[in-house]
Amino acid sequence: MKFLMNIAFKNMFRNKLRTIVSILAIAFAVMVIVFTRGLIDGMVADTYELYIHYDTGHIKIIDEEYAQKERLLSLNYTVNGIGDKSLTEMQSDLEELQGIEMVIPRLKFGAAVSTEEELVQMLAWGVNSEKELAFTNLARELSQGRMVEAGNREVVMGTRLLEKINRSVGEKVTMVYTTAFSSFQGATFEIVGEITSNLPLLNEDVVFMPIDTARQLLYLEEESTELLLVGENRDQAETYLPAVQNYLEQNGGEKYLAQSWRGGSSFIQLLEVSETIYNFVYLFLVLLASIVVINTLVMIVKERTQEIGMMSALGLKSSEIMQLFILEGTAMALIGSLAGAIGGGIINYYLAGVGFDYSAAFQDVDILMNPIIYPTSKVEHMLFGFAIGVVVTTITAIIPARRAAKLEPTEALREI
Amino acid sequence: MSLIKLRGLEKTYQQGKIAVPALRGIDLEIESGEFTTIFGPSGSGKTTLLNMIGCLDKSTAGEIIFDEHSINDLNNKELAEVRRYNLGFIFQSYNLIPVLTAFENVEFAIRLIEKHSKKERRDRVMSLLEEVGLGEMANRRPNELSGGQKQRVAIARALIKEPKLVLADEPTANLDSETSQEVLELMKEMNRESNTTFIFSTHDPQVMDYARRLIEIKDGKITNDQRRD
Ligand SMILES: Nc1ncnc2c1ncn2[C@@H]1O[C@H](COP(=O)(O)OP(=O)(O)OP(=O)(O)O)[C@@H](O)[C@H]1O
Ligand SMILES: [Mg+2]
Repeated sequence: MKFLMNIAFKNMFRNKLRTIVSILAIAFAVMVIVFTRGLIDGMVADTYELYIHYDTGHIKIIDEEYAQKERLLSLNYTVNGIGDKSLTEMQSDLEELQGIEMVIPRLKFGAAVSTEEELVQMLAWGVNSEKELAFTNLARELSQGRMVEAGNREVVMGTRLLEKINRSVGEKVTMVYTTAFSSFQGATFEIVGEITSNLPLLNEDVVFMPIDTARQLLYLEEESTELLLVGENRDQAETYLPAVQNYLEQNGGEKYLAQSWRGGSSFIQLLEVSETIYNFVYLFLVLLASIVVINTLVMIVKERTQEIGMMSALGLKSSEIMQLFILEGTAMALIGSLAGAIGGGIINYYLAGVGFDYSAAFQDVDILMNPIIYPTSKVEHMLFGFAIGVVVTTITAIIPARRAAKLEPTEALREI
Repeated sequence: MSLIKLRGLEKTYQQGKIAVPALRGIDLEIESGEFTTIFGPSGSGKTTLLNMIGCLDKSTAGEIIFDEHSINDLNNKELAEVRRYNLGFIFQSYNLIPVLTAFENVEFAIRLIEKHSKKERRDRVMSLLEEVGLGEMANRRPNELSGGQKQRVAIARALIKEPKLVLADEPTANLDSETSQEVLELMKEMNRESNTTFIFSTHDPQVMDYARRLIEIKDGKITNDQRRD
């Protein structure tokens, strides 16, 4: 085996150009795989994070009816405590549960500002500022002013939204909205902060205000439209979910629905499916590259027919002859995959710093996705690319190697 | 005791629907230590006969007994084992592995037999290369050697495992007459020294002269078999 390896290695140098082309094909495929994986991983991780921050939390509790009419932003199906307990008590109960670190209430409702030309629709979020700042990266995105403070009639909104209503930080704005009793009312707020974000949702849709102010204006008691539960690690959400569901059931909260972030968003489920699909794309890519290697090996077998006859006469078994050619393919695969993995790793390392700008492609798409993607630079991607390159190429090398092994020694020796 | 016994050996090639008889009933015994040539016109069946004796191909009819054992019923893997341990081959076109040095080409044949230590292997290969007059050229690749030198490497490769039998199909066909004689001289010397049995085929009357037994074959049959001393 060792001396077959030695010969296979030396044989690679017999036709250098052909060997180099084969190695390059694999290197290129592996590099593209490592890069794509880094990119998708970066995109997915970022998207998961955005969904968790601005939609699902790790676990989200809402009224079951509300779930069906979420888009209507109805105020008739709120989370307003459990059994005889108030919302505050319910929140502290939930915080006691194993794994849950924070419970965040949000009160979402529709609002509008009328300008000279049009009525600008927006999405008002009554929030607890401390919790939002701790959980999301709003602090980073706050480009001017400060976050809203409890008890005040003040708002924070995105740059694009401010442009639409023709206002800036420090000015006042009058907003109209529908209360819980379906009456149409208006209130004036001071704009205390501006958010600059790549994310369209924050940039042009949402206006933040203190949750207590929102309740007062909407004639709500201690209520919110949703509760987001946050644990230590998003991947453990499923583990903590049963305890939450159990709590709801035991305390007369049957009307509530608790969902983990994975189950809650169909877009996230779609992303998960697409990650699997991408694995097939990678496989296909390596298969394409390994065709170059197969082709090289077929030529090699043809050229070395006499040599195969000689080896067979010297007593090499067909299995050993097969090994010899597979090893030559594997050697090319190893070198190509290594080069490709390193190349892809370098690209990812670079782009992880500067980002990869997608914004043109996502201009009009209504999903929570950051238009600048930062690929993740992980050794894992390099190992994956390397392994798939070596394994697939080695397996496909069996095809030409079998042809060599099947040659009759006398026929092989007759070949000139 | 005969090393090889052939009884009623026949070989017919199938070329599409046409049957091409290459050997038509060969009876032959070869003793250990013989230095034998098989000669005859082109297409008479020399290569076919050597292939049969060399366990490279299967006969259509008849029996081959090698060293007391019938090899008729062996499968391909077992035939490969027989070749690996007992047979040496020398080819018309040398068939050295171009990426290996002379030393490594010779070593190749005993690396298949895993019974020698690295040092033992080295010493044996070097001393055999010296015997065939290539001690100085052990590190050269085949393309840095002349035809005669390549064939010497091939002879060393055939002999390194101390086989019972060495088969050579037209070993001198690619060499000029002077080199041919040197190669035959070397083979004969090896035969004398180690008592290894040699069978070679040739067209060349000058080369035949070296043999101690001359077997003539025509149309797949032995037409003449004479010994000389
Ligand atoms: N694989 C094959 N298929 C069909 N016919 C074959 C095959 N090999 C040999 N033959 C035929 O068998 C006969 C004997 O061939 P063989 O090669 O043994 O002759 P040879 O004496 O070695 O000839 P040469 O001196 O030209 O090498 C010839 O008629 C040849 O055409
Ligand atoms: Mg012949």
